[in-house]
Amino acid sequence: MAQPARAVLRIVTVLLLAGWCTAKTVTYDFNVTWVTANPDGLKERKVVGINGQWPLPVIEVDKGDQLIVNMHNGLPDKNATIHFHGMYQNGTNEMDGPSMVTQCPVPPGADFTYNFTVNQNGTYWYHCHTDYCYPDGYRQAFIVHDTESYFYDEYEEEFTITLSDWYHELSEGIAPDFLSVYNPTGAEPIPNAFLFNDTLNTKIPVKPNTTYLIRLINISAFVAQYFYIEGHTFRIVEIDGVYTEPAEADTLYIAVAQRYAVLLTTKNSTDQNYAIVTVADSQLLDTIPSDLHLNNTNWLEYNANAAFDQAVMTVNDSSSLVPFDDITLVPYDHLPLYPDPDHQINVTVYMGNLLNGYGYAFLDNISYTAPKVPTLFSVLSSGDMATNSEIYGDFTHSVVLDHNDVVEIVLNNGDTGSHPFHLHGHNFQVINRAPSYGATFYDYLNGDPVPYDPNNHTAFPSAPARRDTFVLPPQGYFVIRFVADNPGVWFFHCHIDWHLAQGLGMLMVEAPTQLQERSRIPQQHYDVCAAAGVPSKGNAAGNFNNFLDLTGQNTQQPPLPGGFTSRGIVALVFSVLSAFVGIASIVVYGLSDLKFHPGKDDDVQMVVEEYHDNTPTIYDIPKSS
Amino acid sequence: MANVFAVQIFFIVFRECLEAVIVVSVLLSFLAQCLGQPDQDQKIYKRLVRQVWVGSLGGVAVCLIIGGAFIGVFYGLGKDIWAQSEDLWEGIFYLIATIIITIMGLALLRINKTKEKWRVKIAKALAEKSQSRRTGSRIGSWSRRYAMFILPFITTLREGVEAVVFVGGVSLGLPATAFPLPVVCGLVAGLTIGWLIYRGGNVMSIQLFLIASTSVLYLIAAGMFSKSVWSLQFHMFSAKVGSDVAEEGDGPGSYDIRESVWHVNCCNPEIDNGWDVFNAILGWQNSATYGSVISYNVYWIAIIFSVVCMLYEERTGSLPLKRELIAFMLKVPGLRSYVKRKQAVSKEEAAEIVRQGQAHLTGGILEAVASDTR
Repeated sequence: MAQPARAVLRIVTVLLLAGWCTAKTVTYDFNVTWVTANPDGLKERKVVGINGQWPLPVIEVDKGDQLIVNMHNGLPDKNATIHFHGMYQNGTNEMDGPSMVTQCPVPPGADFTYNFTVNQNGTYWYHCHTDYCYPDGYRQAFIVHDTESYFYDEYEEEFTITLSDWYHELSEGIAPDFLSVYNPTGAEPIPNAFLFNDTLNTKIPVKPNTTYLIRLINISAFVAQYFYIEGHTFRIVEIDGVYTEPAEADTLYIAVAQRYAVLLTTKNSTDQNYAIVTVADSQLLDTIPSDLHLNNTNWLEYNANAAFDQAVMTVNDSSSLVPFDDITLVPYDHLPLYPDPDHQINVTVYMGNLLNGYGYAFLDNISYTAPKVPTLFSVLSSGDMATNSEIYGDFTHSVVLDHNDVVEIVLNNGDTGSHPFHLHGHNFQVINRAPSYGATFYDYLNGDPVPYDPNNHTAFPSAPARRDTFVLPPQGYFVIRFVADNPGVWFFHCHIDWHLAQGLGMLMVEAPTQLQERSRIPQQHYDVCAAAGVPSKGNAAGNFNNFLDLTGQNTQQPPLPGGFTSRGIVALVFSVLSAFVGIASIVVYGLSDLKFHPGKDDDVQMVVEEYHDNTPTIYDIPKSS
Repeated sequence: MANVFAVQIFFIVFRECLEAVIVVSVLLSFLAQCLGQPDQDQKIYKRLVRQVWVGSLGGVAVCLIIGGAFIGVFYGLGKDIWAQSEDLWEGIFYLIATIIITIMGLALLRINKTKEKWRVKIAKALAEKSQSRRTGSRIGSWSRRYAMFILPFITTLREGVEAVVFVGGVSLGLPATAFPLPVVCGLVAGLTIGWLIYRGGNVMSIQLFLIASTSVLYLIAAGMFSKSVWSLQFHMFSAKVGSDVAEEGDGPGSYDIRESVWHVNCCNPEIDNGWDVFNAILGWQNSATYGSVISYNVYWIAIIFSVVCMLYEERTGSLPLKRELIAFMLKVPGLRSYVKRKQAVSKEEAAEIVRQGQAHLTGGILEAVASDTR
């Protein structure tokens, strides 16, 4: 276990010549199979390995490289894809990876080649993008080195830290209990452990008085984590691949799929080691099992002979930690606020139940339900109809955007949980959020949800921070803007994998006309569809003679019946009727007693009278009935 | 309201109280018929009358003590265990309560039959008492001397313990605060109605009162039967869901949609004030299941069927297949003695038993008491 983990940690020093090289092609051959692993030392389990290894290999390229990943799905029982999280894929929408959005799921035994140019820099990750896939270990860091970053000369070495939640059960075992009539609240599965670089109790050797670039990635399926290093502060220089003006911080809140790169300058003294503390956001957990370690300690190892003490918690609950508010960051390029939007999307997150009793997640009233044809193929096969959002189905929540529109998404939260929302193919300006990180973050929990009010909000920043995953506060809202300059079908969804399975997502069908003009889909993609038995042309229902005919499309469950349906009325009427008839029968029975025994019970009557009056009476003995 | 006044407890106390009054009155009538004549010893007669009263009240007193202890122990020990899976216990308790009420309820409408039953029972007891005279033991003579104390004492005690068990049975799921008020009201109502009956009040209006009471009692029983099924179903659902059901309140997810017949997001008897009364009397649920609706209707159909059978039996003297059924049951070893005991005594037999009892009263017991006074 320790060896591969070490390998991931190994400080990358191959940067020396990178800046001089022209763009090159980096090729990875991934044979995806089941392997076993026991990263938390608590339970050995099946995990998705690549080339027989787990933890998975870190993908590393230089800015400008062409990346080719030849994936062979060697899993005997599971579909797979790869999404390169944070890649804009401008011109290569079909390489983005989400199953049934830009490609068909790659069935067991099939091959799929991801091939695109990386014209961006920074910290990313890759993961499987089919339902219930990446929590089984199919996720790892993806680093794009850049010798031209403004801080390149400020650090000596760099290393990457991945944070992850970890389940002892396979996703396929968790899923039936999660989407179930017995889980009406949609309570998310509680992890069994939290990993640090896919292991625990890591010691990262550091030299004194040295500056390091630390790349932090939360590759979890569900739980956000707070991150701080005892006795140290650091400077944030990058979020989600976007360089920022350096910002001093001591504590970060890293939601699922978010990345930070920070510069850390070590202390002069090597007397002691310092705890790197990660604290799982317990607000997200419905229950906290007693054996779940929410806080984990790893170490900056200044001195291998000094003590490695467990971190001492300063708060009782993770929500008392005050993290750096990412909306205050200023991008290094100072890209100004985009102008007023050409297209505004205003949707609200809800959690609810549908007719089968399962817990679902909704944007407005739509729970994303995958279409029968991957939406990209619907765009490419529909000709002029592509600009009509109807053809993408009633339950994919597709919005068609015009090329180069400024798009504003107002996302309100009607739910009491926080949701890290991710937009594929873009980073977006984060221009408003309430409540902000810190002590007030849970303020809206008491009371009704507070929607965004365009006439009453804090001022938008002049150069807003940009990122690709942003946290929606409980019962609050956020507002983001981006430019629709990247033709493609882009998923906008909550990155909590369980919520995505519940349907918390929608599609941006961006510039479909330009997309049709530019797209060159490799034949292999169609072959994979054929192998998976998924049609690769037609509308959401797979109909291509009439693209407006959605007969047979995948639909979400009908809503719960409200109050008394005809069934309920019939039942109530029958119950009332039988009660009346029953009481009538009792009344008849009671009255019949009078008929059969018209007289009073005279002897008792007389006894009582006689007893009280002491009047002599003559009886006819014996008396009966 | 259901927390301070359990309607079913009221009715059970009422009914048992009425029954006790009947016992006392039957005993007094025996005494009056046999010893109350002016030519007989008024001193002995009054003494026996006093024995009846002391015996009855003594039985009731002992019974109250037993009942109090029973309920105290019950709440002292039990509550913690039941709180763990409330719905399961509620389901079981309601089922027990339904069975008890159903069995005893219709008898309330046959007050005359009850009196007749007690006349025969007491006469039988008296006859057995005087037969035991032949043993000549000291205990025998003592029990003869105080027969008019022992008989009502034992009877009221037995009936009272029955009442305690019934009250316990129907109220297992209720808080202790639900006891005092209905018990007191039941006692008062029972004594009043008993008094009215023997004062020769309007038989019609008394019977109407009893009919109304019985109807309410069965409404409650039907609701409880339905609620019993509902609780057991809900227990199974919530066991699989875990703690989340409580979290959901009325909303989606607080019930099993697959079983739902109707569900309104209000009027929850567990949460919303006032609806618990509706629930206690009519078995209302804001979330009805197939199980709860069907069981409610089945219960009433069963009651209607029973009533029709009983009416038929009263008018024709027998039920179709009854003879065959009894013949069959007599062949089953375990049931034989039960059937024999339960077989109704004919009017002639009853008259004979009563006559014997009176004869023994005038004979044996009177002698014993008289010899004691001398």
